[in-house]
Amino acid sequence: MGFSNVFSPRGRVGAFRGTVLGVIASAMLMLAPSQGKAETTLSVIATTGMIGDVVRNVAGERAEVRQLMGAGVDPHLYKATRSDIAGMLRADVVFYNGLLLEGKMTDALVRVATAGKPVFAVTELIDQEYLLEPPEFEGLQDPHVWMDPSAWKKAVEVIRDRLAEVDPEYASQYEDNAKVYLSELDKLDAYAEASLKSIPDSQRLLVTAHDAFNYFGQRYAFEVMGIQGMSTESEAGVKRIEELVNVLVERDVPAVFVESTIPDRNVRALIAGASARGHEVVIGGELFSDAMGAPGSYEGTYLGMIDHNVTTLVRALGGDAPERGLNGKLAAR
Amino acid sequence: MMLTVQDFLQIDFPAMLAALFATVSCGLLGNFLVLRRQSLMGDAISHAVLPGIVLGFLLAGSRATWPIFLGALGAAIVAAILIELVRRFGRVEPGTAMGVVFSIMFAGGLVLMEQAAAHSVDLDAECVLYGQLEDILWLEATGWGSLIDPVALAGMPREVGTLAVITAITVAGVALFYKELKITSFDPALATTLGIPATVFHFGLMLMVGAVAVAAFEAVGSILVIAMFICPAAAARMLTDRLVLQLWLSVLLAAIAAIGGYLVAAFGPFLVGGEHSLAASGMIAVMTGILMGLSVLFAPRYGVVSRKLRERRGEAGLETADLA
Repeated sequence: MGFSNVFSPRGRVGAFRGTVLGVIASAMLMLAPSQGKAETTLSVIATTGMIGDVVRNVAGERAEVRQLMGAGVDPHLYKATRSDIAGMLRADVVFYNGLLLEGKMTDALVRVATAGKPVFAVTELIDQEYLLEPPEFEGLQDPHVWMDPSAWKKAVEVIRDRLAEVDPEYASQYEDNAKVYLSELDKLDAYAEASLKSIPDSQRLLVTAHDAFNYFGQRYAFEVMGIQGMSTESEAGVKRIEELVNVLVERDVPAVFVESTIPDRNVRALIAGASARGHEVVIGGELFSDAMGAPGSYEGTYLGMIDHNVTTLVRALGGDAPERGLNGKLAAR
Repeated sequence: MMLTVQDFLQIDFPAMLAALFATVSCGLLGNFLVLRRQSLMGDAISHAVLPGIVLGFLLAGSRATWPIFLGALGAAIVAAILIELVRRFGRVEPGTAMGVVFSIMFAGGLVLMEQAAAHSVDLDAECVLYGQLEDILWLEATGWGSLIDPVALAGMPREVGTLAVITAITVAGVALFYKELKITSFDPALATTLGIPATVFHFGLMLMVGAVAVAAFEAVGSILVIAMFICPAAAARMLTDRLVLQLWLSVLLAAIAAIGGYLVAAFGPFLVGGEHSLAASGMIAVMTGILMGLSVLFAPRYGVVSRKLRERRGEAGLETADLA
């Protein structure tokens, strides 16, 4: 491909530059996937799967959604690659969680936003009063709001309104889809509330790998304890493990939980610790905290993820919940 | 996915520029570290600056460049002095002294950082260790014209500016004190008799190494900085016996590693059907390793292959001589 003539070489420097760019440009042409239909659909980038799933539900066929972090990816640690940045610069809208969930991507998001791209945090509508400020982070708020479906409804509203703003032609479609989806969330919230209530009071304690379940606990009157802090960056101290083992033994907790995005090493240390003191604890199951399940499965949607968490929790802690969950779609175990 | 001029200028150009400045300044200084058999000094200093970085960050309360930079320079000096002290009074070889000092200082930095994390999550070990080349964006760029447009150029990310200044200082320093650096590197005793203070140059070099390591760590991370210090210089050393030529070659190899590594990381996966780019800083370091490996194998005079070839030819020559 004679790309060098496009760059009209002037002398050796020009020719060299032409060749380099020619090589890059022809490389890009070879790999060009079908981006041609970008005219007809809205291209949306979402950082986490939970956000991507909401956008898919609200926008329907209208938007082509790309999520940067796949199943099992820890958003606190995810780093943007060149293709992510290029995707964000080219997208029509970018949705991210905010509240510093995307710890390593914050710089990139801020820079893309200052370039005038429509970049929105889905947590922007949530009441300041609702947000929790964990004591170990001065002035910073807990980002794990999707754990509470009633709060996540605010994110649905942000996505609905922002999509309508960017793409007003389809505003009514977004409105209708969001309505349906919000009612699904209401159902999920009611299911969670009812089934979690069936757990005996003494056992309403959730011990997990990191502090992702505070909003969940706040909404459903559940005590939550994480081994690691808010961000998975910090390592758990021996003291923390010891404290939790004490709690497990004293309160006779039957089960602790692992998270899909976090190695279960610390949780196993807890179990070993409790067992050394004569108290048997089991792993109650794997919860989805910072990412959803496998794409294409029910657990790979936001509804399925929360349904799975609630159902797993209730059944492991001695409450009443159908084995296949709210919608009867959970994978059988 | 087409690469437009704007995309190239916004995403790839500033990252490549940062990588280029980082590798070139590290590569250039690396020559003197390699000659002094102190290659690991780059490693030592780039780790030992961590407590300085964290202290600068804690005192300033923000990620502003200057406090962090000054803290790091202070820590670099402290590390260089401590290494000297441990070597002299601890009666250990230089490698041991470096290992002792830098690992302890780095550990101190980590402890401080956990403390700092209580105040903010803005600084973490990973960003110090691995860097983030992909975050260096020049979003003001709209076309080739932006390269000469002062308004657009003002939006060039801070990292690129810092690295450009550091690179200029490094090049100027090496050019100005070339003779002194050369003599003190090859023969410190001779340098002292000639009236050149070897100690001053030793600490001067350490200061520069510290400055370069800090400027580069944001872009490529402090672990990968080590590859930049050692590989281009060591590879260039395989290729020539002349110091001037070695310096030029190390710069050239560093530039090839920076640009080549970046391009492979950014676009390579797409050529083989992948969907995501790779981490550029890692690929650049891999590239310096590959260049080093190639020169170990194929250097015209000292390369393994050419030596073997010469040996064989030599033996063949002897045999014919015997027969005659």
